[in-house]
Amino acid sequence: MPDVAVKNLRKDFGGVTVLHEVSFTIKDGEFFTLLGPSGCGKSTTLSCLAGLEQPTSGSIAVGETVLVDDSSNKFVPPEERNLGMVFQSYALWPHMTLAENLAMPLNIRKISKTEQKTLIHDALDKVGLAHLSHRYPHQLSGGQQQRVALARALVYSPKVLLLDEPLSNLDAKLREQARVWLKRLQSELGITTVYVTHDQEEALAMSDRIAVMSNGHMLQVAPPHEIYERPATAEVAAFIGRSNFIDGTVVSARGGAAIVRLEESGETINVAVSEQAAAGDLVTVAFRPEKVFLTNRGAEVPADAIVLNADIMTTSYVGSRYAYDLKYGSKTILVDSTTGGLTGAVRLVVPAEAGRLYPRANVVSKDVAELMAVTH
Amino acid sequence: MTTIPDTRPPAQVATQRPEYPAPKYRSILGGDRSQMLFWATIVVLALLVLAPVVPTLYQSVMDRPLYEEGGLFTLENYTRLFTEAGFGSVAVNTILFAVMTTVMTLLIAVPMAIVVIRTNIPGRKFFGAAMQWPFFISSLILGFGWITMYGPAGFVSVQVRRILGFLPWDLYTLPGMALTEAVALAPIAYIFCANALRNSDASLEGAAQTVGAGPFRILWSVIIPMLRPPIVYSSVLVFSMSIETLSIPLLYGQPVDITVFATFLYKNGLQSIDPDYGILGAASVIILLVTVLLVAVQAKLLKDAKRFVSVRGKATRPRLLDLGWIKWLAVAFITIYVVIGALVPILGLVMRSFTKIFTPLQNPLASLTMANYQRIFEFPAYVGSIRNSLIVAGVGAILVSVLAVVAVVVSKRSTFRYRKVIEYLALAPQAMPGLIIGIGLFWAFAFMPFNTGSLLQGTVWAIIIGFGLRALPSAFGSISPAVMQIGEELDNAARVNGADWLKMFLRILVKLLTPAFVAAMVLTFVVMMKEYSPAIFLGSADTAVIGTTMLELWVQGNTGSVAALATIQIAITAVFVGVAGLLMKGKKDA
Repeated sequence: MPDVAVKNLRKDFGGVTVLHEVSFTIKDGEFFTLLGPSGCGKSTTLSCLAGLEQPTSGSIAVGETVLVDDSSNKFVPPEERNLGMVFQSYALWPHMTLAENLAMPLNIRKISKTEQKTLIHDALDKVGLAHLSHRYPHQLSGGQQQRVALARALVYSPKVLLLDEPLSNLDAKLREQARVWLKRLQSELGITTVYVTHDQEEALAMSDRIAVMSNGHMLQVAPPHEIYERPATAEVAAFIGRSNFIDGTVVSARGGAAIVRLEESGETINVAVSEQAAAGDLVTVAFRPEKVFLTNRGAEVPADAIVLNADIMTTSYVGSRYAYDLKYGSKTILVDSTTGGLTGAVRLVVPAEAGRLYPRANVVSKDVAELMAVTH
Repeated sequence: MTTIPDTRPPAQVATQRPEYPAPKYRSILGGDRSQMLFWATIVVLALLVLAPVVPTLYQSVMDRPLYEEGGLFTLENYTRLFTEAGFGSVAVNTILFAVMTTVMTLLIAVPMAIVVIRTNIPGRKFFGAAMQWPFFISSLILGFGWITMYGPAGFVSVQVRRILGFLPWDLYTLPGMALTEAVALAPIAYIFCANALRNSDASLEGAAQTVGAGPFRILWSVIIPMLRPPIVYSSVLVFSMSIETLSIPLLYGQPVDITVFATFLYKNGLQSIDPDYGILGAASVIILLVTVLLVAVQAKLLKDAKRFVSVRGKATRPRLLDLGWIKWLAVAFITIYVVIGALVPILGLVMRSFTKIFTPLQNPLASLTMANYQRIFEFPAYVGSIRNSLIVAGVGAILVSVLAVVAVVVSKRSTFRYRKVIEYLALAPQAMPGLIIGIGLFWAFAFMPFNTGSLLQGTVWAIIIGFGLRALPSAFGSISPAVMQIGEELDNAARVNGADWLKMFLRILVKLLTPAFVAAMVLTFVVMMKEYSPAIFLGSADTAVIGTTMLELWVQGNTGSVAALATIQIAITAVFVGVAGLLMKGKKDA
């Protein structure tokens, strides 16, 4: 199965650009996820891959086959692309039995009746529903319908499998199981898969690589671990998992480190930087609640760690851990800890590898910012 | 809850997968076959819609009939229209008639909608169903019925005059015309108001109750303000319908010389020995302009109205208000409308068809006769008109519904560049009065190259085209919501699976739309059965339909046979709708 290459994909809807020159390559057999909030352009990207939308410009190729290329004015319609797709609503044709649903793409491909029979049985068997082949879609549960939709997308052995939030209509418990099952099926088939979701946990758990999208831009394309540990931008850090953000100004920068003065307290801290930083740059320091720890004031800390003096406001016990709200200047900082019962003035220790420096960005929504502002 | 099965196919499956390549679709003349269908649809619609309009526009600025050689451009037709032809007073009459009709329609429909939908009067279901009747009966028949009962020599009028010594009303006046028209159109306004009331959020009224409002307070402060959008919309609709209507102005206005738009066209086009086509064209253009404007206003209002109807996902069933003793007043009011407005005239007409003389002065049962029916079945021309009506409605229903399904699906579900134009074209005949469609097509046939028009002129096909054009918007409107209800992902799934647009349409949408298609066919059949006005110009002696034959018999003073034909038409419609309903129900149960 071939690579999928997308170059400079752009889509305008009546003067509004919903995709800005997006480029990426999906490797053969890879599970590739487009992740982002609603309206970020992930579904449009998938529709362009499927041929249901015609991109304004750019090119798409699967292996040697060019599907879309604006320079040669080429556009292959969806029916000639030989891709498999599972829709959010499953889109099973209600007037056909499961077997008839699966037979439709085979009929169109003029495959003999006997071969159809084996293919349909195999595909339904793969999703554990061969015994229901004469039922109608409305006689099945949501989970079963979702599996039939998958079987229909696979029955003609398409080159690439496209999945548009296929699990979002399942209830929470079933969704978690289905996630594991789908991932296993995909790796067994070895089929190149493009998965669209707004659920970050789903994306982290299933993908080989994730493309995080926002407002029609691709912010970062990387394996799940890298996306979580080293978010490329403050937006990615805010969207994937939870993060604390503290604004500051670079005082001086040298080599791989910068000294930053924090606006809330006037304290200066030493942060490792991966990109260029110059004195005077407005920056945001980000760190995740579970990557930091709390100590008493005066306790020993690693020399290269960032240390902030803060006060504990509230403690919540959430089962697996304690969640602390710390007051730092007029800001609230979230910290997760396995130790309970801490109170009063503490030292917040951010190990060197946990703190990240980004250009100043406004990534916290206004509602959240208002709730997090300490007014007393 | 479903359990996820433990399915573990053998690991080598991945390497053995055979290829089943996607199908290739051949292209014809640089476009694929779906594109061909799109273009065919738009061309057919454009031809149909423009055929009556373009010759009318052209005729209005020509100094002689279209079929005569050497016509010259002139604007004189328009000036003569207002000077010689007296079109100014016709316009005044039309506006007066339309305004009175609109006001009376609202006075009947709005209180009725509120009372039937939102209060606990007895017999709500029955009254709700009774409001469907005009769907089956043309206003021509209603007019006959009213004259039979309440006209100067009507059954009821004679009786009243005997008791009082005089007749306190005169049907043959503008208010009389408007009242009958209002009775015919009230159900349309009723349906819009009733839908708005049904969709309204019950919690609004609940909120009013919690702050201590009683039923009348709720009616006045919550419910009636909510009705403003449907009232405005249905006023415009009723106004435009009464501007183009022919039946009642023709029946009531002709004897006393009250002329409105439609009767003006009728008189000048049909009754004069040497029709002045220039004036006819100019009058048609002006009337068309008015109706197009009104339909444009309707479309705009409907769009705006949709914005502030808040339909929630959860159906809230509003509690019915208790009006106390006033509810008996309401029941009396509705009963008067249903009984005096519709039931008595129609039953009177049926009675008339079975009697020789229909008057209170003599027991009608004493002169029972089948002679009225005999006369119809003796003359081949009259039997022919029944047969023609059946052919026109039957064939037309199929053709119009097929065209409507294709037009709806192309306009709502394709990427065709001009799909919006298709929708406008399919809905455009809304703005075209039946008489003008008749006149326009008549000219179009006269104008067609190589005399091909004569193949159509005067045939049953000409009538099918004229009536079909009139019925197209309602067929389009009845199929359109069904298409919108089918998720677009079903189309997309078929496309990704390898079906081109045409195959997707034939394999998926056609099957899913079958019930909507059948419903549209029933609707179109009924609409085309009632229709007659385009046939006044398009028909010949051999191609009369029930409506035109009734008019002819009426002019001859043969009221008994008119009543018989009207009864036959009502019976055909009732039987057809009844059978279709049973068939559709049977399908659903299976």
